[in-house]
Amino acid sequence: MIQKKICLLGASGVGKTSLIKQFVEGIFSDKYLTSIGVKIDKKRVECQSDSVQLMLWDIEGIDRYCGFQPKYIRGAAAIIIVVDHTRSQSLIEGIEIFKLARDVSDVPAILAINKADLDSTWHWGEDELAELSHPFSHTFHTSAKSGANVELLFSTLAQKLLSEAEQ
Amino acid sequence: MNISLFKALGIIDCCVFKRLDADHYETLYAEHEWIDLLLPQARQEKSFTSPCDSPFLDDFLMQAEEFWEYADYGKIESGIWNEKINDQELKLNAYATMDNGDFYLIIDNVLDLFKQRQKTLQSARELLLSNDKIVAQQEYIHQRLDELLNQSTTLKNIQQPITEVIEKTEVGVAILSPNLQPISQNPALYSVFDTQLAQAETEPYQLILQLFEKQYPEFERVISTGSRWSGELFWLQPPGNGKWLKLAIYPVKTDFQQITHWVFIVNDISQVKHLLQNNEKLTHYDALTDIPNRQYFWMQLEQSVNNAMPFYLLYLDIKNFKRINEIHGHSRGDQIIQELVERIAPHISASDMLARIGGGEFAIIRQKTVTEQQCIDLGHILIETATQPFYLPNGTHCEIGLNIGAASFPRDADDAETLMKFADLAVFNAKKATKSSVQFYSQKLKDASQRIIELENALQNAITNHEFELFLQPMLDLTTGTILKAEALLRWNRLDTEKIGPDEFIPIAEQTGLIVPIGKWVISKACEMISTLNHRGQNCKLSVNLSPRQISDRHLLDFIRTSIKNNHIQPDQLELELTEGVLVDNYDKVQFLLTEVRKLGVSVSIDDFGTGYSSLSYLKKLPIDHIKIDRSFIQDLVNDENDKAIILAIIAMAHSLKLNVIAEGVETELQRNFLQLNHCNLAQGYLFSRPLPFAQFCDYLTTTANQTLIGQSALGPK
Repeated sequence: MIQKKICLLGASGVGKTSLIKQFVEGIFSDKYLTSIGVKIDKKRVECQSDSVQLMLWDIEGIDRYCGFQPKYIRGAAAIIIVVDHTRSQSLIEGIEIFKLARDVSDVPAILAINKADLDSTWHWGEDELAELSHPFSHTFHTSAKSGANVELLFSTLAQKLLSEAEQ
Repeated sequence: MNISLFKALGIIDCCVFKRLDADHYETLYAEHEWIDLLLPQARQEKSFTSPCDSPFLDDFLMQAEEFWEYADYGKIESGIWNEKINDQELKLNAYATMDNGDFYLIIDNVLDLFKQRQKTLQSARELLLSNDKIVAQQEYIHQRLDELLNQSTTLKNIQQPITEVIEKTEVGVAILSPNLQPISQNPALYSVFDTQLAQAETEPYQLILQLFEKQYPEFERVISTGSRWSGELFWLQPPGNGKWLKLAIYPVKTDFQQITHWVFIVNDISQVKHLLQNNEKLTHYDALTDIPNRQYFWMQLEQSVNNAMPFYLLYLDIKNFKRINEIHGHSRGDQIIQELVERIAPHISASDMLARIGGGEFAIIRQKTVTEQQCIDLGHILIETATQPFYLPNGTHCEIGLNIGAASFPRDADDAETLMKFADLAVFNAKKATKSSVQFYSQKLKDASQRIIELENALQNAITNHEFELFLQPMLDLTTGTILKAEALLRWNRLDTEKIGPDEFIPIAEQTGLIVPIGKWVISKACEMISTLNHRGQNCKLSVNLSPRQISDRHLLDFIRTSIKNNHIQPDQLELELTEGVLVDNYDKVQFLLTEVRKLGVSVSIDDFGTGYSSLSYLKKLPIDHIKIDRSFIQDLVNDENDKAIILAIIAMAHSLKLNVIAEGVETELQRNFLQLNHCNLAQGYLFSRPLPFAQFCDYLTTTANQTLIGQSALGPK
């Protein structure tokens, strides 16, 4: 079994903690509780040839109260940029955070467009979204609430990391 | 490190370890039981190796090892982390530090700090999210409606899709005609005002207009100039407590900047306000900058008016702040605002007041008896302070501009509202200038402002009224004397009576966005002229100027393609001219556009070269064919050694980059000789010809061609 560090990054309130909670514990709460600092959860993902222990770093939302901390990215095997499609601002911020992360690490990055259970209220069309998500190795429309694509997001990532390790 | 002090204090909830060697520590202080969860061996043995089950601490210790090895002093901090061990939760923060050559690891239990931080940030972030959501909702509705309203001008065609967009939204929406008559108001808007469709005595849109007019002096300016606006309104309807509303106003305009509709979007933000009002500081102070907010500013302004002592009001507006937010993101925008306030605040004396009254807007009340000149001087100091680069964490930097409008009490107005209105008008006028400036309110300014509004209105119809004309100024090969191309220059003959100079109308067109359709007309007309010249057998390339706004027009490239195709001309007969400023400000867009036009075969010139930015890297990176030396260098080249040196340097640099050089504003033989001697390729200026109407230009081409032929035959056969 291999072990990999994954950092979840994004603006505050996009659902980073909820995504991890759904993936690790299979539960969801509608109540918003802001995260402070870092919390690490582990989950083992079974892939075809081996299993991968994901160390999921849930990092406090980056906003005017908490800046981007490059030190947390150190040693990460991948980053997941989480954005909320009910708040267009979160995508702009997510892309900005991605650029900051790219300055210190070139590990694979996944874009998770979260809250897919709610209606989208951003103005980006499919073409623009495709252009914005171009630098990401994968893009998933997830819902921490319904669980849609959450398992797929992490299992795809685990498989990708395993394949890279095997090469 | 004095461990006895820790022990004596006993109240500090931390553990201290001394690093003996890599991963090997000695426990100096570990009185608290929680450490047993994290490092069970720490309290059992005097020294221990650090196997622990905390990936976060492991990660930090790797950073700490590097720090202890390479740093000479100081400390590093892990930041707060959450640790859940055996169902117990710890909130910790670790430090790696050094003292007199010894290395220490300190782990702090920060549960209280964590709780306090979470409590504060919970409400702060809830506010942030609510605000973000409101802005997103308003922007989204605006975007959808803008698309729909632009699609069709007939009410019948848009009724159904509009109803679909606005009927089900929770946000109040009113769509009004250009003269503010209701076209559509959704049920949510009636709910905001606690009424129903059939029962309304005063229609919601009327209430909004009344509140806006009563509470904001900007009302008249916003409506008369067709500007976007957003802000907060307070609606009081006794016996209720009243409501706070966030209103966003968007004019929907055609390409020709004619207003077709007004869209008003309203959110009830009473709950957000209630959260804010629980904290008196948040009520009167801006959360981002910690300086007085709009509400507090108004109280002070009214107080100052009541005191009846003369004072000045300065209205500061960050140039293109919306664009800064779009390019760099709102968090960077926030950082710029914070740093700007840090820069400005030291220049404001204790008796004056600096307040943030909008997103990128500030106001200063200068209480002391000062002269107008002193206010202008302060304005210039603030502009200079603001225009220093802002360095962003990602290593890039950004520059901003500042417009300042000012009004004097009681000279200009003797009530707060009018004073604010005049300062707003002054800043609105300052915005018209390309560079940051300070403008004082005056009757002259009011007249100038009216003139601008009048020209704006006239410009909207100038194309359809056929008031524009393209003049052509030839560019000659300095070696052969032949005309290789000409620059297309726009002229406006307003109603055939008044000729408006491009210096006056181009900035207005740029400001209002009318430059986009006007620029398209220029491209189209230039292509038509090339076609006519081709038919006359007078092959001549034409160059047209592109403005910053045009670069942002995503249809520009298609339009150029279509114009070339429709006029059956060769793409290499067209050239685009851009200034250095356009290149630097819109680098990504320009790169894309120039690469695509190069693929088409259209050539590119850099205009006014040498007057703008010192960064020349773009010359190497972008597909550029020519640079045009600005006329200011040519003007004095005969007498000014510096200008000569600059011109020679530009020519040498351009040629080494395989670019052609064009000299603008050549007026004398001496200038021509100098340029010819120093291998400048082309020249343009009054020495050869003024800009000419098309018919005269054709004649000029014929005459010059004949003269060249005569000159050649006079030389006789070789």
